[in-house]
Amino acid sequence: MRNIYLVFRRDYLGYVKAWGFWLSLAAVPLFLIVGASFGYFAATASPVRYFAVVEPTRIYADAIEGEFQRRSSEAAAEARALAEQMNIPLAEAQDQVADAAGGRKFIEVPAPARTLEELRPWLTGERMIAGPAGERPLFAVFILSEDGSQLEYWSGDVNVDTLQRTAEIAMRDLSRRDALAASGLNPDFLKQADAAAIKVPAFRLNATQAGESGAEVTMADRAPAIVSAALAYFLWLMIFSIIQYLLMGTIEERSNKIFDTLLTSVQLPQLLAGKMLAVFAVTSTMMLSWSLFGIVGSAVSASQVPGMADMIQPFIAAVTDPKLILPALVSFVLGYILYGTLFMALGSLCDTIQEAQTLLSPMMILLMLPMFAIFVAFQDPGSPIVDVASWIPLFTPFLLILRMPHDPPMWEVLAQMGMMVVITALVVWGATKVYRAGAVHGAGIGELGGMIKRALGMKPKAG
Amino acid sequence: MSDAPLILSHATKRFGAFTAVSDLSFEVPAGQIVGFLGPNGAGKSTSLRMSLGVMAPDEGEVRLFGARPELKSLKRVGFLPEERGLYKKMNARDTIIYFGRLKGLSASDARARADELLEATGLGKFRTTRISKLSKGMAQKVQILSTLAHRPDFLILDEPFSGLDPVNQQTLEDLIKAEHARGATILFSTHVMEHAERLCDRIVMLARGRKVLDGTLEEAYATLGSGARITLEPGFDLAAALTPKGFGVHRAADKGPGEAWRVDLAPGQGPQDALRAVLEAGAPIIGFQPEEARLRDVFVSLVGEAEAAALDTPAVPTEGEVV
Repeated sequence: MRNIYLVFRRDYLGYVKAWGFWLSLAAVPLFLIVGASFGYFAATASPVRYFAVVEPTRIYADAIEGEFQRRSSEAAAEARALAEQMNIPLAEAQDQVADAAGGRKFIEVPAPARTLEELRPWLTGERMIAGPAGERPLFAVFILSEDGSQLEYWSGDVNVDTLQRTAEIAMRDLSRRDALAASGLNPDFLKQADAAAIKVPAFRLNATQAGESGAEVTMADRAPAIVSAALAYFLWLMIFSIIQYLLMGTIEERSNKIFDTLLTSVQLPQLLAGKMLAVFAVTSTMMLSWSLFGIVGSAVSASQVPGMADMIQPFIAAVTDPKLILPALVSFVLGYILYGTLFMALGSLCDTIQEAQTLLSPMMILLMLPMFAIFVAFQDPGSPIVDVASWIPLFTPFLLILRMPHDPPMWEVLAQMGMMVVITALVVWGATKVYRAGAVHGAGIGELGGMIKRALGMKPKAG
Repeated sequence: MSDAPLILSHATKRFGAFTAVSDLSFEVPAGQIVGFLGPNGAGKSTSLRMSLGVMAPDEGEVRLFGARPELKSLKRVGFLPEERGLYKKMNARDTIIYFGRLKGLSASDARARADELLEATGLGKFRTTRISKLSKGMAQKVQILSTLAHRPDFLILDEPFSGLDPVNQQTLEDLIKAEHARGATILFSTHVMEHAERLCDRIVMLARGRKVLDGTLEEAYATLGSGARITLEPGFDLAAALTPKGFGVHRAADKGPGEAWRVDLAPGQGPQDALRAVLEAGAPIIGFQPEEARLRDVFVSLVGEAEAAALDTPAVPTEGEVV
């Protein structure tokens, strides 16, 4: 154990002391903060823009204004509903509701001229127009065509098309209303018809930890599937992240000719175990740091947003459910060992980074296969394809985790866990042989075929 | 039962169809410095790797401190491999501490020992310098210090002088002598005979994977006895002329113009007898020098000039090519 610890410690500190590690560690939170900030600033920093509508009446201008008001009302209603769902008293949520409803970015102003040529100085910013947000140029103008068949949209900025799309929706709505009126129907006929549609709620057939049978399905019912999907993805992500570490770490030792010195001080399995643990710890450190960032973020939002704690609770219950988490942990550990030893053994056959890079593509393809399986299983965990795929050793660690919330037969769970143990042991045995050949005897990637044939009792071809 | 730290009995190692070491038997007596000599590709490194259990012999047996090489006995061994290698991003001090701890030192002992060794060898001010920033000679020194950190009972050094400048070669010689004085048993391989002559109590000579000599320096020299080095103009077969007269004659390594021959003297014969015989044979003599046997001559006499020429070529790894 001491030797494993010493190898682990050296490798772990070696990785952690590298500046690239800290860069990776900081990258995700930084990316999230910058991304979120960018989104917020993009929304709030967007300037108020003026537009005008040139038409004989105010039919189209009112329709566009009506559409903007409908959107504000909808946003306020959604904010109110969310506050209600999270048990936030409406009085406390007033500001959020007001924020959602307010914040108009496009404001209609009276047209300073009637033709495009006359309006051009205001559209190009040569002249300013007074409005509720002060003096600004005209961002866009709508001009009704002479035959009244088109409401032409003119703007110097063709990339911001929000106003144009809003106008299109407004025109469609106006057309519907006219059509309904012409048929003698109430203008709100379609809305009323939609509101009258019967609801299709989901009910819990069997009693679960989430509650009694017969009750409506809630987030507590869906949390285990979401948690298991997150765990499967986490395992995949961890394996994906370690490839580089395992390949490069072994290449460093091989190119530095250090194995002979090491192998007179530690046994090969101890060396492998120490290195695997170090890479596991490095990726865990990274992911735990990111998780910590997420937890702190959640805690902050839970303290700021009443009701957030209630939302998180079903996920905590799923994570602490032994029926879900124990098989998941076994799958996680065995999956890591299986893939980790495989990649480390391949790394031991490479002399240079270039050689290792040629291995990365097939490794990535190998890793994409479980990703597809995870996707299919998440969409339809009861699918026969998932049942069959879960018996394929390279997929089992991921798919067993995903199947656990759906109560697969106990014999299947035990059999698949047993199979994983056997397959992982075989892979570790084979990988140790390959590692010894690479690390001790200097075998290269070209000799892998011969090694496999020898292991299978076949004679490699001469020459 | 022998108290020799290392005993090889009929050890054989093959890589595919190539036999790297064949039926090799020798032992390293406790407290002695043993030179393991031979040209590149003779099987020295393979033999040392078998001695350490890094690879197992296909036939025969290796006993390290009386048992098959295992971690427990290896803790008493300090090994310097032929192909030097350290973690380039670690600093000198941490490197010595790491390898010292792997050999069983406590963290505090390893730290103290690293400081002591670095100071003693003039590397104290480079203790926190990364290996990648050290000169090749300094990095080699650090590796040697890592080998000595745990005060091993038995040192196995594979081509320890290779790549060192004359000053550092002398420093290493002094270190080996100091370790020997401390009581360590030392086995080192080299293809530079002069180092072996200065340091060794015993030598084991290897050629093409086979042992050709195993004994003390005196025993090695005795295989040749005294003789005379005679340099002739090319084209004269001195062996054909002098062998019928009872002299042992064979080609020696050329050192300058002409062809060098060595005439072995039997008991009772003197160098002047050899010179007289050469002149009587009408040989075109350029030079004459009475000489005592050197290890190189012993080696030439045992394995031939072609093998001896390989002693002077730079070291190249061999095992990896034949796996």
